[in-house]
Amino acid sequence: MATVTNAKRARELNPRRDPLSPWLHIDLMLVLSSLALAVLGVAMVYSATRGTDPAAYDTTFLERQTIFVMVGIALMAGTALISYERLVAWAPLLYAGGIVGLIAVLAVGVERNGARSWFEVGQFQVQPSEFLKVAFIVALASYVRRIDGELSLRQLLAALAIGALPLALVMQQPDVGTALVYLAITMGVLLVGGARVRHIVVLTILGIGFAVLVWNSGVLQSYQQDRLLSFLDPASSQSEAAYQQTQAQIAIGSGGVTGRGYGEGGQTQGEFVPEQHTDFIFTVVGEELGFVGAALVLGLFGVLVWRTWRTAKKAADTFGALICVGVMTMIVFQMFQAVGMTVGIMPITGIPVPFLSYGGSSALTSFLGVGLVLNVHMRRYQVRR
Amino acid sequence: MSQVSLHTRSGRLRLSVLGAVALAMFAALFARVWFLQIMSEQEFIEAAEGNRQRTIIELAPRGRILDAKGRVLVDNRPSIDVTIDRETVVKSVSTDELSDLFLRLATEISRTGQLTKVAEIEAAFDSDRFGPFAEVPVVRDISEDLQLYLAERSYEFPGVSTTVAMVRTYPYGTRAAHLLGYVGALNDAEEVAVREKPKNYQANDEIGKTGVELFYEDALRGTPGYKVVEIDRFNNIVDELENVEPVAGSDVQLSIDIDLQAMVEGELARGLELARQQGSKLVEGEGEVRFNAPAGAMVLLDPTDGSVLAMASHPTYDPALFVNGISESAFAELSDPGAHLPLLNRVIQGEYPPGSTFKPFTAYAALDTGLIGSRGILTVTSPYQDEGVYRIPNCTDDSCVFTNAGSDPLGPVDLRLALTLSSDVYFYNLAANFDRLAFDTDSVQQAATLFGFGAPTGVTLPSESGGRMPTPEQRRALHEENPEAFPFPDWRTGDTLNTAIGQGDVLATPLQIASAYSVIANGGTLYAPNLGRAVLDPITGEPELEFGSRIIRELYWPPEIRDPIWEGLAGVTTYNNGGKIGTAYQAFADVGFPHRSWPVAGKTGTSEKQSPGAPIADFALFAGYGPLPEPRYVAVTVLEEAGFGGDVAAPVVARVFERIANERVPEVLTEAERGARDAEAAAQFAQGDTGDDEAAAAGAGGEG
Repeated sequence: MATVTNAKRARELNPRRDPLSPWLHIDLMLVLSSLALAVLGVAMVYSATRGTDPAAYDTTFLERQTIFVMVGIALMAGTALISYERLVAWAPLLYAGGIVGLIAVLAVGVERNGARSWFEVGQFQVQPSEFLKVAFIVALASYVRRIDGELSLRQLLAALAIGALPLALVMQQPDVGTALVYLAITMGVLLVGGARVRHIVVLTILGIGFAVLVWNSGVLQSYQQDRLLSFLDPASSQSEAAYQQTQAQIAIGSGGVTGRGYGEGGQTQGEFVPEQHTDFIFTVVGEELGFVGAALVLGLFGVLVWRTWRTAKKAADTFGALICVGVMTMIVFQMFQAVGMTVGIMPITGIPVPFLSYGGSSALTSFLGVGLVLNVHMRRYQVRR
Repeated sequence: MSQVSLHTRSGRLRLSVLGAVALAMFAALFARVWFLQIMSEQEFIEAAEGNRQRTIIELAPRGRILDAKGRVLVDNRPSIDVTIDRETVVKSVSTDELSDLFLRLATEISRTGQLTKVAEIEAAFDSDRFGPFAEVPVVRDISEDLQLYLAERSYEFPGVSTTVAMVRTYPYGTRAAHLLGYVGALNDAEEVAVREKPKNYQANDEIGKTGVELFYEDALRGTPGYKVVEIDRFNNIVDELENVEPVAGSDVQLSIDIDLQAMVEGELARGLELARQQGSKLVEGEGEVRFNAPAGAMVLLDPTDGSVLAMASHPTYDPALFVNGISESAFAELSDPGAHLPLLNRVIQGEYPPGSTFKPFTAYAALDTGLIGSRGILTVTSPYQDEGVYRIPNCTDDSCVFTNAGSDPLGPVDLRLALTLSSDVYFYNLAANFDRLAFDTDSVQQAATLFGFGAPTGVTLPSESGGRMPTPEQRRALHEENPEAFPFPDWRTGDTLNTAIGQGDVLATPLQIASAYSVIANGGTLYAPNLGRAVLDPITGEPELEFGSRIIRELYWPPEIRDPIWEGLAGVTTYNNGGKIGTAYQAFADVGFPHRSWPVAGKTGTSEKQSPGAPIADFALFAGYGPLPEPRYVAVTVLEEAGFGGDVAAPVVARVFERIANERVPEVLTEAERGARDAEAAAQFAQGDTGDDEAAAAGAGGEG
């Protein structure tokens, strides 16, 4: 291409002004939207956790989340630093490491809220299934990138196997929400990566059939079924999930247009919504900042996702594009699921809102993902093979 | 370049599909958030407030009920109740633990002597009157020791705590039970009705059910206070938003004098007992009839303003049974017709044929219309020959023959003597002539209606009956409604005859009779009887509201009408001439009545009540007033299945009036005072001093 040739020439002339230099192609909108979400998240976490005594506000969560975000920003920068091309070589290692982590957490992890998903490291809990999402995106993308055109059945099954292994391990914890994220990533990458339409159709039918089978097989306890269905009519159920759902909607609905004011939300300050600083952080945004805040959050996610999608489109190669697709699917699905359950259009499954929710593993993973997209964006004129 | 598959058309299309899916998800979230926050904001703001604001009700004490002298007839006392918190139980107690908890609770409570079944606790806990997070009272009125015990062992009894509620207490026991009434938990109908009322009723509140408790509910009820507090998810109170102190209900002072009330109750009971001692008598064609005297009523009015001084109904009941809820079996017993309906206030709800006590009103009709008078069939003083039998003129049928009670001929009687000796024949003659001559055939009914018969008196008590004043129209209506019970559609002269002597279809409550006699006693004014005198501030005792007398109508009452009636009725207790005596002469003579210092007039009545089963003894009535010439008391008593009014009813009034006349109304003691005095008497007895047992048993400790 002529432009490339020109660029090459320009670089040879003056490397400092090289239009292909990665650092000249940082996607500022991507960076700023993720930073804005993270900062908003810190503020919301503080409002949700500081308590009601103005003389002795609890700043533990504020401090920790600030640290997580700062580490996350550093990780994002670090990820962007080294060309993603090199990740192709590391992908099997990253993937294997992640799988080992998931097996280890089942063995020596600590249980919280009924799921064995965490390692205890000093004061912190590390959730390997979060970090593995990024490794998994890289691994899946690196496998699918080699295929030009449509995936054969064998290739499709191999790709599915890459996704099925971590999914099965996460289900063992059990953590249905994260497992669904893996499923979403797999589907997203395969859709864009070249799965045949009829395969997608068959997979979808099989998936629905499997879900129906599981639902009726008695594998799920009735409380689990109740939890999944209660969002349809929270008033009819006495379960904790229905309570959470009802309280979450009351919080968001009562926010109105401009919200009750930061730190002024009665639902938030009375801690009526369980897990309001983690998975249900959107209720705090909705109640205290109102529709304006909620729209801002959705808008920021919109920018983030749009830039990621655009990067996928402009990526220099399939690998980069699929990485973007993976990250995009991860963020969109998690956001849709975690926000959707607070507004009552999705069943309750434990998933954090990327960037917003309190939690180190989630924050670092989100920044890692954006770091990868940034990486692809920065090198969209560079990568050759 | 060849491998950059996304640069192919298919790749771009696929990416677009992914983008479209993402866009759809955003759109769904955005729409939903719009719906929640823009469309439904108000609804959720209210939900959020309801969520974190709790209103804690603080009950206000109910006002007391006082007698005319300010003595407390109905008071409040604390009742310690055991409650179980449903929320705690649901969250932290398993089903097995719960039944074990009930068992241990029942055991502990029973150990204090208050026998309590596990099933009772279970039933109380499951009551649907309480919400899913409510503290449900399961056992009422426990001892303070048990309260302490439970508090010390709260860890053994999860969710169990005690609360103190105010309940009614009756210092004078069963005295005045019918007129005071009782309180109970709101039923469904009341719950709907009180929504319109002020004073903030709650689903589990108590409300006056009968008597004064019901009639003066609005004054007696306290206004509950409340606190609106803000709570967090764990029910910790974060903030207090509003605090309204409860306001105690007002006291209601009655015109009742508890001393008179107690005496009237006692004399009524004694009168019934004496009536029973008559045993039985043989009635021609009916066989042996027993004087069962199971029930009766007596009322004492002040004719000068219509206030009720005493009101007794027998059999009675203990209002304390209703405190903290009455058991179903106990309530069934009190509502049993076989036990003569102890809950019935016969003074206002018992409908009796007034019998001869009705004659003065027939006399009034005759005097008022001129049937008796210078241009009538008789003058006041013209004698009429009472042969003991009356035959309706121009009527040959057997049904046209009417006799005196016992068919005794009384000889020549004028109007006054006809009242004094109670000549039926004299009044039959009047009644027949109303029908024959150019008078309204319902002249008697018209007059009686002026005296208040046939309509509720308007006494300040609920559920008053109106009696029955039969008219031709009414008779036809009754027949059409129920031809079996009322076989004759047409009004006949015989009906007027029966009406004239207070028989036939005439029914009146004792209070109606007393109210009508008050008109005679006070000179022509019909008052609506008043039971409430004032509503008092519970703290200062200052009247908030005073109830004056209520005049219903003034009757035409010139001396020409008054004198013969008064003289005739005065003779009832005093006439004794040539072997003829007033029908209540003996009754008053027996008690050595002080006719000189306290002249008294009255009228006996002996009425037949139609009974569907075996024949029953006559109902005995007496209506009296005194002291003449300005009567301050009107008394009416009715004894069911008791015999002649002169024999059994007149003595009851004679004894009551005698005590009033001689100022021998004993001061009644409260239950607590009685207990103390009994203990003292027992101690004295132990020391060998027997004391006056009879006086103690009659409760007449006032002289000391």
